[in-house]
Amino acid sequence: MLDIKTPISDTTIAKLAVGDMITISGYIYTGRDAVLPKIVSLIEAGKLKEYGIDLEGAVIFHTAVSPAGVGPTSSNKYEIESSIPALSVAGVKLHLGKGELSKETIDALAKDGSVFAVIPPVTALLNSMTLSSKVLAFPELGMEAFHLLEVKGYPAIIAIAHGKSIYDYEK
Amino acid sequence: MVKVFMIMRNKNEIIDKVKECLIKAASTFSDDKKEVYRQAIERETVKTAKWVLETTLKNAEVSELNRSPLCDDSGIPHLFLEIGPNQNVDGELLSCIREGVIAGLRELPGRPMAIKGDDKQRIDQSGGLDLDPGALMAAPILLKSTDEDILRLHILMHGGGPEIRGKTFRIFHKHKVSVVTDEIIDWAVEASGKLGCSPVTVAIGIGRSHFEATSLMLEAMVFGNHDIQNDVEKEITDRLNKSNIGPLGLGGNTTALGTFIKVGPQRASGVRIVSMRPCCSIEPRKASVELI
Repeated sequence: MLDIKTPISDTTIAKLAVGDMITISGYIYTGRDAVLPKIVSLIEAGKLKEYGIDLEGAVIFHTAVSPAGVGPTSSNKYEIESSIPALSVAGVKLHLGKGELSKETIDALAKDGSVFAVIPPVTALLNSMTLSSKVLAFPELGMEAFHLLEVKGYPAIIAIAHGKSIYDYEK
Repeated sequence: MVKVFMIMRNKNEIIDKVKECLIKAASTFSDDKKEVYRQAIERETVKTAKWVLETTLKNAEVSELNRSPLCDDSGIPHLFLEIGPNQNVDGELLSCIREGVIAGLRELPGRPMAIKGDDKQRIDQSGGLDLDPGALMAAPILLKSTDEDILRLHILMHGGGPEIRGKTFRIFHKHKVSVVTDEIIDWAVEASGKLGCSPVTVAIGIGRSHFEATSLMLEAMVFGNHDIQNDVEKEITDRLNKSNIGPLGLGGNTTALGTFIKVGPQRASGVRIVSMRPCCSIEPRKASVELI
């Protein structure tokens, strides 16, 4: 089990392979359907820094953040998956969620030096590994706002890296 | 002469029972679910798949201990009420059940995901979210008479992922059960692969209308048991497990933990209406309580 700390370097990404079991520690961002397209709009407008957001080497966890806790939503929902390429170009190194992604997204991740990892929906365990949480942008979205979490030891499996996908098994 | 029946109830006791039932449904694996996980862990040969199963079972142990949600999508409450021959259901009882659901969602706490606003705002989600977990309304309650002299409430908490991948549609049966099961398996394989949160328990209702099929699917979830599987249920589970989708879709031998089917009355016709819900790795989230 490889422990990855944020921010993540290109060197670390280069070492990762599909099927690797990892833990993630440090500060990570969260976002899902409602907010990720808005973050992409902020990137395009050059306004990320106004919100104190630095995506270089970042992890984005596809989750809501609520009193119920955190847990992955399906990353192949349109507004989430379509945001992945632009977020990777802006510096995100690891997208964290669940579900199979398209060939186009697999190729985009490889081109932009980013990977996709899946995390089990284990909210009760993740709550004990979440040290702090605060809203950085779009608070009006409530649980779907863009959050910054401090986490220790989130468990995950590398599912897509360097043009390969763990979902490419014989079905 | 008009007879007036006065039903004396301890309303607070009913509200508290419903509250506790909802918390149990959202935070606890049933005994048969725990056992089917243990068996799957024992059988699973793929390392990552075994790890996912072990982690999911460990999560359930922690959530049960903490009375906290199994998943951050704590679910939409779905209610199923069994009514015995000498029991009465009236507006007061339904009001107590509603209050118990609200109390349970607040204490759990459930994810605050009630959408505010008028019809259009609730469709495009432009009216914002209500921050009160108790604002989440339960789905319409299903009532069923029973020969047992009880008033038993079942609460199920339905997550969003299985709703995206579930399907209610017609199947032309061609007078063969295998035609229907083959098509259901095709649906279930596709749904399980895209769900992300496998292993699934496939819930199926077969009826004469979309409403009836969906109601039967819910009933299958209420009474289904991983320890008791008929031939058709076993066949669907076994064939799903040959798909190699595995836990979280990462590959492995454990794509499905079981299948729950409820077949209702059928129409004299070449068509069957089938509702299929690929319940995710932590579902069905359910609990039951006798209210009286």
